[in-house]
Amino acid sequence: MDARTRILNRVRRALEGRPKALLPEHPHSPFPEDPIPLLLARLAENGAEPHLLSPEGAQALLRELAQGLPGVAFGQGVPTPFREGLNPLPPEEAPLGVSWALFAVAETGTLALSSADGRRAQLLPPTHLVLVERERVYPTLLQAFQDLKELPSALGLHSGPSKSADIGQVMVKGVHGPGRLIVAVLT
Amino acid sequence: MRAKAKLYPKEAARLLREKPGVREAVTGATLHFDRNRLKAYAEVPIAEWRERAKAVKDHALSHLDQYLELAEKRLKENGVQVHYAEEPEDAHRLLREIVERRGVKRAVKAKSMLTEELGVNPLLASLGVEVYETDLGEYLIQLLGEPPSHIVGPAIHLSLKEIQTLFHERFGTPLDASPEALAQVARKVLREAFLTAELGISGANFLVAETGTLALMENEGNIRLSTSLPKVHVAFVGIEKLLPRFQDLALFLPLTARAATGQRLSTFVSLIQGPARKGEEGPEEVHVVLVDHGRTALLADPEAWETLRCLRCGACLNACPVYRQTGGHPYGYVYSGPIGAVLDPGLLSLEEAYPLPYASTLCGACLEACPVKIPIPKLLLTWRHRAVAEGLSPAWERAMLAAYRRVMESPALYRLFSKALRGLPLPQDLLPLLRAWTEGRGPLKPSPKPFHQLWREMEEGHGR
Repeated sequence: MDARTRILNRVRRALEGRPKALLPEHPHSPFPEDPIPLLLARLAENGAEPHLLSPEGAQALLRELAQGLPGVAFGQGVPTPFREGLNPLPPEEAPLGVSWALFAVAETGTLALSSADGRRAQLLPPTHLVLVERERVYPTLLQAFQDLKELPSALGLHSGPSKSADIGQVMVKGVHGPGRLIVAVLT
Repeated sequence: MRAKAKLYPKEAARLLREKPGVREAVTGATLHFDRNRLKAYAEVPIAEWRERAKAVKDHALSHLDQYLELAEKRLKENGVQVHYAEEPEDAHRLLREIVERRGVKRAVKAKSMLTEELGVNPLLASLGVEVYETDLGEYLIQLLGEPPSHIVGPAIHLSLKEIQTLFHERFGTPLDASPEALAQVARKVLREAFLTAELGISGANFLVAETGTLALMENEGNIRLSTSLPKVHVAFVGIEKLLPRFQDLALFLPLTARAATGQRLSTFVSLIQGPARKGEEGPEEVHVVLVDHGRTALLADPEAWETLRCLRCGACLNACPVYRQTGGHPYGYVYSGPIGAVLDPGLLSLEEAYPLPYASTLCGACLEACPVKIPIPKLLLTWRHRAVAEGLSPAWERAMLAAYRRVMESPALYRLFSKALRGLPLPQDLLPLLRAWTEGRGPLKPSPKPFHQLWREMEEGHGR
């Protein structure tokens, strides 16, 4: 008998005669009001820098951020107009990473990033700009998950800059991941 | 990890005597965590959240065989290699195989209490693999050669000054370097490790049976990096970590974050479905090791099985007035504080963990903090009852309680003793040790008449 069989047998023996607990339903999500103001407020509370911009406005923001930098690392899903005039760099070398989010969640101030967009650009550069379309903003995490049709190999939920209070309980940003998270919600 | 829980009272006393700074650091950090948790709980309908979370966990545990089989099926469909481990040796065998096959020289590790149980770091070191703990707190204690002292904040027992000294000796940073500067030094060392390691090791907060999703929570980004950059990712998952549905994460992720650190959600959550797909960045191999190591025995326990609901958030540690005095080290095993006191006797044996259920005032703060309502105070008493029934309590305690019982059961003996005790010298004269108690308090003066007599006189007075 292998470990798997022995473990499963022990689990079954342990549960013999044990009452089966019911699985509760998910709660009803609250009426979806406009989640954008809440998203922007929560992101700011989480230490991110949120903006509500037109695509052109976001492109101007990106160019401003990239000014004086040797180049930018792009996620696969970032549309061409955002890349124009900028020097693409590998994420290991780029001081700025730009990602295209799958969706955002207002109640937690969260951006969902797919591995299909490329993981390194989301994690290695010290500054991270995330673009998300207004229509892809959900009021709650449950609503976002209920709408999710397929899962990528890895889904990263980012709710602010990398931080730690492990050294003497003092909050430090940018410990391993990006220390600066800038978000542009595209109108 | 070898358990030294038996030494708890001695180790706690020694720590308080020899390292008074620990108490200050731990009390400060846990009070901070606890206040943040209370604020975060107050923001949501927490009673309803906790009740629902308890119900989901109880459902998953009472159908654990089915969910294990479903999770295994989904993981395999996702291209994940699934292993089962009953004991640390099973985990070691798998790691040895991977290290040899992939030529692993360097491994990056995300914080995981289960890998502490399994002794993963010593094993990898014995294979000649350089292991980097990548959580900043965990990295600090790795440099010091210490075990974690808290489930969520492994280095909360260290003061800034101790860390400055450590980095001065290791990396030559100035003795007054700022936390930012120290973090940058660690970032540089660990970034190099992330980029060159062949193996990434993690635990998991949850494993979703329906989709085969591994869910991991953190604030630094080191878990995302450990599970994204190396070509091989091995996740160790206790079999109690199963959740039925992906959507259950919409409850459990925020609930755990609020309980652990008072956040609405931890800064980074990794939801992993498997190895990189064609043309993607990410690991080529993902392994999930489903670990028993005492959990099926706990599941069979008619009372203590409820500890398997534990989310490892550390909220009960932060709320505990006993834990706050010493931090986790004196408890002598991976899990400390109130949850450790009820979990360790089940994972080890009551004999090995005997003193831990006594490391509590039974104040009940742990139960109020627990996001899945584990009845910790009740279970502390359960383990104490069992300890007495198994004859584990010391002989003097048993003799004293047997004598007490004899006296309390016999009115004649009771009267005799209460009369005799009033004739004895007062405790404050007898025991200079009580000075701390008697300072600031009036002397203990026994009543001239015992309560029994006063009561009788009062009743007779009423009857007249």
